[in-house]
Amino acid sequence: MKKIIVYCEVDFVNKKLEEVSYELISKARSLTKIAKELKNEDYEVEAVALLDEIEIESVKNAYKAGANIFTLIKSDSLKVFSQTVFAQSFVEYFNQNKSDIIIFPATPRGRIVAPRITTSLDCGLVADCTGLDFIVRDDKLMFAPTRPTFGSELMATIISKTLPQCATVRAKTFNAEFIYEENDKINEFKPISYEENRIKLVKTILDNTPNEYDFSDAKIILAAGYGLVHNKDRKYFEKLEQIAKLIGAKVGSTRKVVDLGYMPQATQIGQTGSTVEAEIYVAFGISGALQHISGMKNSKKIIAVNIDEDAEIFNYSDYKIVANAKTIIDNIYEKLSK
Amino acid sequence: MNIVVCVKQVPDVDDIKWTKENNLDRVNMLTKLNPHDEWALDWAMNIKSKFKDTKVTAISMGPNQASEVLSYAMAKGADRAILLSDRAFSGSDTIVTAKILAAAIKKYVSDFNLIITGHLACDGDTAQVPVSLAQILDIPDVIGVNEIFNADKNMAIVSQKHGKDINIFEINTPCLLAVKEEAKEKIVPKIDDYIRAQNKGIEIYGLDDLGFDKNEVGILGSPTMVWKAFRPQVSKKAVKIEQNFSERLVDIILKAE
Repeated sequence: MKKIIVYCEVDFVNKKLEEVSYELISKARSLTKIAKELKNEDYEVEAVALLDEIEIESVKNAYKAGANIFTLIKSDSLKVFSQTVFAQSFVEYFNQNKSDIIIFPATPRGRIVAPRITTSLDCGLVADCTGLDFIVRDDKLMFAPTRPTFGSELMATIISKTLPQCATVRAKTFNAEFIYEENDKINEFKPISYEENRIKLVKTILDNTPNEYDFSDAKIILAAGYGLVHNKDRKYFEKLEQIAKLIGAKVGSTRKVVDLGYMPQATQIGQTGSTVEAEIYVAFGISGALQHISGMKNSKKIIAVNIDEDAEIFNYSDYKIVANAKTIIDNIYEKLSK
Repeated sequence: MNIVVCVKQVPDVDDIKWTKENNLDRVNMLTKLNPHDEWALDWAMNIKSKFKDTKVTAISMGPNQASEVLSYAMAKGADRAILLSDRAFSGSDTIVTAKILAAAIKKYVSDFNLIITGHLACDGDTAQVPVSLAQILDIPDVIGVNEIFNADKNMAIVSQKHGKDINIFEINTPCLLAVKEEAKEKIVPKIDDYIRAQNKGIEIYGLDDLGFDKNEVGILGSPTMVWKAFRPQVSKKAVKIEQNFSERLVDIILKAE
């Protein structure tokens, strides 16, 4: 039987699987059904985790999410993350237990380890996919991941001519469904104990410096664009900062206003700035250059204020206000500071 | 010490043009140096300003036009520039690109201590080439570096942000660092620098120089291929607010309407 391996992301402290692992396992399981429908081919799903030990609850959940086999590549040298040690250990296992497809999580660690593995296996890797599917090409079933490219302006479905066919997928792209039969069987594999002496983690510091531009837990972001420039002064940027303070929001900006010196670089949202996923994102006087859009489009509710009825930003918005952003800021400021 | 900086010329995503068939019209789009690579160059120059005997080599794979970003790298202070250009290279995916870069570095800058790259290129946006390159060259890497505190012939000391954690690494050279943030000091070339760069000349190498067969590189040699490309239908149907703008806006924000 053919196999889809899901490389699991783990929580090293609690010896658990991260949620993204279940999401990928469930997606892999649903892919097996597509393979069956398209070409009557049987695939099974193998979840593979690398760690020194694992809590049994995670194993059960992996089966419930759709795994047919759970493999633990187990070694003391896998207690802490090292991209080279993890890649070597996985490759050693893989060479003895080959699969047609490997799906990796596009987590910070996954993104670092996956290309090491695929380069070592001399195969392709499709990054940051938002869709996974099978297609039939020349009467052959092929794994067909789709990814956004070019700042999300273009979607590309990319296939691999060689095996294994591999892809990375971001967390929260698919849903985990705990609907399959529970099991607690662990297939254990002991790799050679690899070491990485060339790199040393000296220490980890908790970044406690209060950072008004840390958007990671920002619920509301008010973003300032070129439409707020007024007589070459910062008046409306300051007003927006004050409004943000009053309602507990954070202020973001575009590359253009950063380049022109109206806002600090740390506020920049977009491809060369921060990527945000706010509950509410309000774009004031932002036209919607692609480089900005790619950093904010995943926000839950997007409201745009722009004088130009045809501004690109409106294509990504839930609410559209065609008006001068400066006037709106004046009015809100007046309303809130009463 | 010897530093290699990998740079890429990318289409300007703020200037996207489409062909009638809905493909990217790369011919008519403006190009620029990938922003993350600009940071990589700046970090290299920051190190060079500390250690005078440092030699920086900028390397790029691309069409002849990519010599523009290499000239710019030299205007910024790179001592040497290498362009890997061959019709056969066109269409290379990430692993093949890494193989070509690795072959060139091994052959022409074999005594490198440090490779600095941008974290990702803003056109492909995969962040895979630096990791693949480190794997092929069998050197350690730190990906997503936000500060290079020091780098000498033996060791680099760098930090990497991971959520609220800041990891400080000591990494033996030779190694690869993929930078994710701007350098402490940005290098802005002056007219004189551009003139000096023009006189330096760019080394150009192709398929035969690097000892590849044409089936090993480009579209032919790449394990992955684009099956189809399409423009996503992103248009959300925005609800247009017709009046009482400010009141409605405040309501939406504060009452989660």
